[in-house]
Amino acid sequence: MRACVASLAGACVVALLGAACSNDAGYVEIRTVPASTGSAPSLYLDSVKLEAPRKGTVVLRQQVGTTKLQSDSGGGQLAVLCDIVVKKNRVTTVTVSVLDRPPRCQCQTSVTADARSPRTCIG
Amino acid sequence: MINSIFGQAGFGPVGAQQMAALLTLVFFVVSGYPALAEPEQTTEADGLSPVEEYARQVDQFTKNAPDLGKKIEDSTKSIDGLTDVAKAREEIERIRAVIGDLLGQVTDNGVVAQLGAKARSHARQKLQALERETRFKPEERQLLIDQWRELLRQTEAAADDLETARSEFAGLLRTLQTREDFIDELMQLRRAAEAIKVIRQLTGEIRDASQKLKSLIGGIKPPGV
Repeated sequence: MRACVASLAGACVVALLGAACSNDAGYVEIRTVPASTGSAPSLYLDSVKLEAPRKGTVVLRQQVGTTKLQSDSGGGQLAVLCDIVVKKNRVTTVTVSVLDRPPRCQCQTSVTADARSPRTCIG
Repeated sequence: MINSIFGQAGFGPVGAQQMAALLTLVFFVVSGYPALAEPEQTTEADGLSPVEEYARQVDQFTKNAPDLGKKIEDSTKSIDGLTDVAKAREEIERIRAVIGDLLGQVTDNGVVAQLGAKARSHARQKLQALERETRFKPEERQLLIDQWRELLRQTEAAADDLETARSEFAGLLRTLQTREDFIDELMQLRRAAEAIKVIRQLTGEIRDASQKLKSLIGGIKPPGV
């Protein structure tokens, strides 16, 4: 029992160290259409607010994994637009139609998910 | 405290100490690791104004980029001589890593872009302050305004060039990954000959893109130079 708990704890520590030391990153390209809309809602990648793109496109370095693209739906509430899967040294491109209410994600490559769950864009 | 927790969990005193040391190590590694999405902090204690600091970063990027360009060229050359799809794919992955490295330096949440935004904001604030300035003679004030206007123009031009480079890097990365996916699909159908043909076409595309990027990066001028 003791050996089992110890090896489990060891495995957890190794996994935690591995995750912390991982330098694997990929890229997310977010295109907003139309490019210049003054009244467009703010976009968030997980909880990080994105600067309004100068020419309608932002390219961000992200740690490998799944991240959520969200928009401010008013009153400080964030609504998930889509999930973005970031892979090592690959770019995941998402086009956000900001004229739609709520804004809509269009993935260059997507996986079909449950109709109730948000769209998932993959790189 | 940690000793008592692990002691209760069934670890001996030595095991508990080792675990405590391990957890301390984990804490330092985790807390010392920067979040990728968060902008890196820059110090103003070094006395550099944001425009100078930005110019230094842009200069460093344009100086480092040719080395990476050479790595792309070397990998492309070795792909040309390969007939083994698996080895060619490894080289493509290597090129993807190099392009990713270049793109990583100019992303919107990277150091250079963040400094660029800071530099533009600083130059605009300086201009606004000079417009209200009453200490200097009109011609002196105009001289300073003209200098800051020029610095702002150069800063914006560098930011625009870097934005173009960013878009080109992302486009090249997209081409590489899409071609790689197509090669994978062909290999699943055991169509190695077609896969090799796609790889050959891809090396041509990489060379063209690399040349374009070389001249693009060579044309980026840090502000104030």
